[in-house]
This record gives sequence, structure tokens and C-alpha cells, in this order.
Amino acid sequence: MAERGALRALTAKRIIGFIADAAERWCDADYAPRVRATAAIEPRLGYTTPVVDYALDRLFFPVTRHALEAAIASELGRVDALDGVVEDRTPPAWARGADRVTIVSSDTTIGVAIVPAIFALCAKCDVVVKDRSDALAGAFFETLAQEHPAFASAARARAWNGGEDAEEEALLASSDVVVAFGRDETLRAIRARCGAGTRFVPFGHRVSIGRLTREEIALRDAPALADRIARDALLYDGEGCLSLHALFVEAGGETLARAASALASAFERVAVEFPGGVRSPQRIAEIASYRNLAAFRAAGGRGSVFRSADATLVVDPPRDEPPPLLPRVLPLIAAGGDDEIVAYCAAQRLPVQALGVAAPDARAVALAERIGAVRVAAFGSMQAPPLGGHHGGEPRIAEFVRWIDRE
Amino acid sequence: MSVAAPDELDARILAAIAAYELSDEAFLALARELFAYQVAHNAPYAAFARAAGFDAARLPERVEEIPAVPAAAFKEARLAAFPASETAVWFETSGTTRGRGGRHELPATRLYEAALLASFDRMMLADVLRQAQDETRLRYLNLVPDPRENPHSSLGYMMRTVARERGDGADGWYLHGDALDVDGFVRDAARARADGVAVCVATTAFALVALTDALAARGTALSLPDGSRIMETGGFKGRARVVERAALYGAASERLGVPAEAIVAEYGMTELSSQYYDSRASRAQVEPRVKVPPPWLRPIVVDGEGRPLPDGVVGAIRHVDLANRGSVIAIETEDLGALAGGGLVLLGREQGAELRGCSLDAESLLARRG
Repeated sequence: MAERGALRALTAKRIIGFIADAAERWCDADYAPRVRATAAIEPRLGYTTPVVDYALDRLFFPVTRHALEAAIASELGRVDALDGVVEDRTPPAWARGADRVTIVSSDTTIGVAIVPAIFALCAKCDVVVKDRSDALAGAFFETLAQEHPAFASAARARAWNGGEDAEEEALLASSDVVVAFGRDETLRAIRARCGAGTRFVPFGHRVSIGRLTREEIALRDAPALADRIARDALLYDGEGCLSLHALFVEAGGETLARAASALASAFERVAVEFPGGVRSPQRIAEIASYRNLAAFRAAGGRGSVFRSADATLVVDPPRDEPPPLLPRVLPLIAAGGDDEIVAYCAAQRLPVQALGVAAPDARAVALAERIGAVRVAAFGSMQAPPLGGHHGGEPRIAEFVRWIDRE
Repeated sequence: MSVAAPDELDARILAAIAAYELSDEAFLALARELFAYQVAHNAPYAAFARAAGFDAARLPERVEEIPAVPAAAFKEARLAAFPASETAVWFETSGTTRGRGGRHELPATRLYEAALLASFDRMMLADVLRQAQDETRLRYLNLVPDPRENPHSSLGYMMRTVARERGDGADGWYLHGDALDVDGFVRDAARARADGVAVCVATTAFALVALTDALAARGTALSLPDGSRIMETGGFKGRARVVERAALYGAASERLGVPAEAIVAEYGMTELSSQYYDSRASRAQVEPRVKVPPPWLRPIVVDGEGRPLPDGVVGAIRHVDLANRGSVIAIETEDLGALAGGGLVLLGREQGAELRGCSLDAESLLARRG
């Protein structure tokens, strides 16, 4: 039986230090556990080595003492609020971590459970992660245990077997907080198995979109911007919730086609750094069908299709059709202005996660608010959210604590 | 090549159907003539073919070269080689993951009916017709859309035609919208048994699941008359419940009293005029079964670039259907399969699907949109 509350004897700053040290070891591409994890992730997801390496870098490089402390302080006011009552609040209060947190990463994103696990550990919670077959979370927890033995009982990973078992039932029913990633039906099923008082934090599947204004449309003169857009579309084969799934462009006709042509060139360049992964025959068939349908429309004078490396750009698809949501396929949708983007998202009932733009200004925030997005990001960084960001519109650590006020 | 007249083409296709035989050379020759006819009369297909490098002056040299429109193109344009005013019947194509429906229009029904009856006779009724010279007629109990309620269902039209031409006149229809009339089916099955008339249950896979579930819930096991059979078609796309074929056939056999080898899967599409059926040789087992086409229908399995794949390699299925004289000769699908000795082994979508990443997928989005 694991010791309960093993991290409570440590200060939050010490915990943060151990976590940052462990993450630093994982930043080394030659670190043996990372090498093993990479070898396990590649066949599971079909991504190429550069993509997996990039993902692991993106996962661990931002996990520094400073970034963790800043993220926690921004939500709780002070890091030591996790250790006991802090007097400079009104009323004085203690951000007491939950006893048990369970994280279910029932989808296949690389290391998706690790960031919430880190923040739950910072809150001194006992954390159980239902891990994917590549055992990435478990391997990181082993490194944490090498940093301090308290993590051996505080951070545990259970193998994901795709089914349900009695131990898992008990775990979900007894957890104070359950964080879950997955499809709507998966989230509903997990929620139904939680205890009545369990705090449930769901992260459903989402899409992200981008917008190019008419001032930004001359991509031939802005290859760097085109490359950033291409990166957002191609990284992780466009299969992340923060991947660029549709690009709205304030232009039509020839201007739109020229932008697509410039983007196609950018796709060629970026595909060298992030080559496409292995796809199932079903996805291959769906992509071919979508591309051929676009070619059929183009033959009839509606829109056009650009092939680039192993990616596809479809210009001016029908407005009454949702984005294809297929790997490395980007539709460019002509939009007369933000109102049309809002109308499209509403008509297609798109659950938008992020809005990519060339300049994250007030107009972009206003658009994000209207389409339900929770993040505005500059092109090129859509899939690189900051550690302290509100992923899914949720706080990073606040859900893992309960405040005890001393009045 | 001069463009043949439609009646001339129909006559040649009907001759092939009647003979139930077509050599590779004859198939290609007829396919080229049909292609030339369609690019002359079907403007959207002609534009698509031209973009692929083919037109009346440059005909495909091989069957595999014939430009295949994606099935969803029927939702984008009227793909017909005749004026709209001459449409005799049209079938509504189902909404796909892209959400819209379309139409497959026919200028006449004789080619369509001749093709479907010729295949049905050989693949579903060979024993009956051989034994009784067409005097023994099955009774058709249909768990497919009732054509009186849904006149544009190709499956309903097909079974209405079969029941009219090959049935004993007491056919029944039990699928009304999504509702299944289980009581009516049980009553009519009992009547068929009392009459001593073997039945053919024509059913979608999902309706068969609903029927066997309902019978199991009642604790009822029917015993259909000797010689009865089941024609099952369609998959589970868009359905919340997916049942493995082996389990479905096992349940159907148990609840209806029909041996598993008498359950035959038909594979067709609204956009086609012809159908595949499980080969007789492969019916001894439930999986895998080989779907065989009639001589005027050829499957081609292609990779993501449209290149033909050899036997045994999984890819997307194209169909070249000479009975599609009034629309488009070659259709590309998202269905997966592999060629197997001239036939086709289908791979269900669920078997080919993958789940990776946290992006929404198209089917989940459609589910959200209701």
C-alpha cells in the first residue's frame, strides 16, 4: 500500500525544484528513459522521430522552476500558499492540495497527462495517471522518484488497457479531482463513474482555426509568416487540438489562390523539418477522397487544390461544409470579415480551442471571444502553449486545491 | 471513336448481363465506349476527366485509368448523361461525413433492374431457380426501407423489384424510419412457416441487430422454413452500436433458425447500379468472405495517389460499373478492401480507423451537430 500524502512533508518550492530537475533530465535527447519513450511513441502514433523529439522538447523544456513558480503564483497569489496559511490575503488562507487526483489520458496525444500531473504534484496531491502504452508518464515519474523518494508513492502510473476494472472504478469514485482527456463519449463515461463530490475537469477534443487579414494576405512577400502557418498546420500532422484545422482568409479569387500557392511552398519547406507520419489505410482513403472531391469542384470552376509534399491545401471549399479534420489537409476559406468566421463556426458548431493570427491584438481577442476560443496565439506558436496558459480555458493548479480561510 | 447512341450501349450492356459473361477485352472496349459517351453527355464528369488528362479524343487505355469520381461528387453536381427532364427514377445518396445528400438519377430502369435481378438470381437464388425452373418462389420479408414510404431508397427499390419479380406476392416490409415492426415480422414469419414457403429476409446489418436483440429480449427463437435465407447489407456507420459480423450472424442464426452459410452479405452503393455478393465458396465461414462482382462490374483497389494495388494489399475501393450508363462509369469510395482473386475482401471502417491526437474528428463533429 502506497504511503498517502507523501509530498506534504515538503515545501512547494522544494517540490517544484525536484520536478524542474527531473524535467531538465528529460530535455536531454540522449537520456535513456527518453530514448526508450521515443521508441515506444513512434510506433504507437506513427509520427516521425523529429516530430516526437519536438513534442518531448516542447513538453519538458518549459518546465523550469521559474515557469512553475510564476504559473502557480499567478493563480494562487503566492507559491507558499500551498504550504499553509498566508497572511497577506484577505482573509488569510491556505491553498490546501486535494488528497487524490486521477488523470485519465484516454486519447493519444504525446504526454498530455504530464502537465496536469506536475501541477497536481506541486499541490502535494497523490496523483494516479492512467497511462498510454508508451508509458511516458510512468517513465517521468520514475525520474521524479530518483529526485526524491516521496514521489515514488505520490506519483503513480497505471497501464491503460482500454477497458474498465474494479480498481479503476474505486479510483475514480474515491478521487477528489479527476482530469480526463478524450472524446465526448469517453468523458461522459468517465464522469458517470466519478464520485458525487468529485471535481471533474474534462478536456474534450477541439479544433483550432486561423485568420489572415487582407493586410496580411501577401504571403509571397512574407515567407516567414507562411512558414509559421505551415508549422501550425503540419506539426503532429494537424491532429492536435491546437493544430491549425482551417484558415480563414480575407480574400477571394486570385488573391486567395496566390496565398494558397505561397502556403504550398511553405508546406514544402516545413515538411522537411516535420515529415508526415504513418497513416492508416482509412485515413489515406479519406484524404484521397476529400482531395479528389476538391479536384472535382475545381474542374467545375469552384476553388482549387494544391498538393505540397504530402499535404493538401484546398482553396474555397463549400461554406456549408465543416473543415475536413484530416491529417495534413488545410482548407483555406474565404471570409469577408470576422462576422463570416463567427457565422461559420456557429453553423458548424465548431468547438474552437485556439485562434491563430499574425498579430494577437484586441481585434483577435474579440473574435476569439465570439467563437468560443480560449486562446489567441501568433502563427507559429499555436501548438506551443506556455506552461502557465489556461489550457482548455482551465486554470493549471487552482482545480487541485481547496482554499481554507482563517477568518 | 464515335460516340455510341444510348440505346446501342444499353443493348450491349444488357447482352453482357444476359450472358453473365464478359472477357477483359470486351469489358475494356465497352468501358471505353461508355466513357466516350459520358464525357460527351455528362458535363461535370467531362470536366473532371479532362483535368485528369482524358477526353473523347484521349480515351483511357486501361480500365484502371478511367477517372473515378468520388462518391461524394453526387452531392456536388448532377452527374447524369441525360437531361433532367428525362429522369425516370432517382435514388438519394446518404449523407456522408461531409453531411450533404445527393442523387443518382437513372434515365430508365431496365438496365438497373436487369443488372440487379441477374446478380440476385445467381448469388441468392441459384438453388431455387435450378431446382424449380422459377416455379418455387420465396417470400420476401424486408427489413429495409419500404419504397412506399421512401421511394428514393435504392435498397428499397431493389428489394421491391426482387419481390415483384421473384417473390410469391406476400412480401412484407417492417422497417419504418428507424422503427422496426418486430410483431409484424414475427407474425409473418409464422405465417410463412404455416404456408410452407421459404423466406428471404432482406435486411440492413443494423436492422438485423435490432431484430435479434428484440427476439432475444422476448426469449423468442423463430424457425424459418427450410430453404430460407438472409441477405444482409450495409454496415454500422453512424450507429452507436457496432456488432462484429461473426456475433451478428451467430445471433441471427440462433434467433431465426437460418444456418450461417445461408446468410449472405450484399455490398452495393446508391451511386452504383450493380451489387457484389459473398462468393458461394467463402460462405462456409463468416470471416473473411470474398465479395464477387458480376461480370460487368470491376473493383480496383488503389493507394492514396490513386495507383492500383495488387491482390491482398488494403486500399480504397473503386468500382467500374458498366450498368451505370446514365451517370458515371467509375466511382471512388472511402471503403477499404483488398482484391482477392477477382473478388474483394471488405475491411470495415472501424477496423481501419485510427485515433491519435486530441483534435476533433469529422464523425465526432457530426455527432455534436446532431
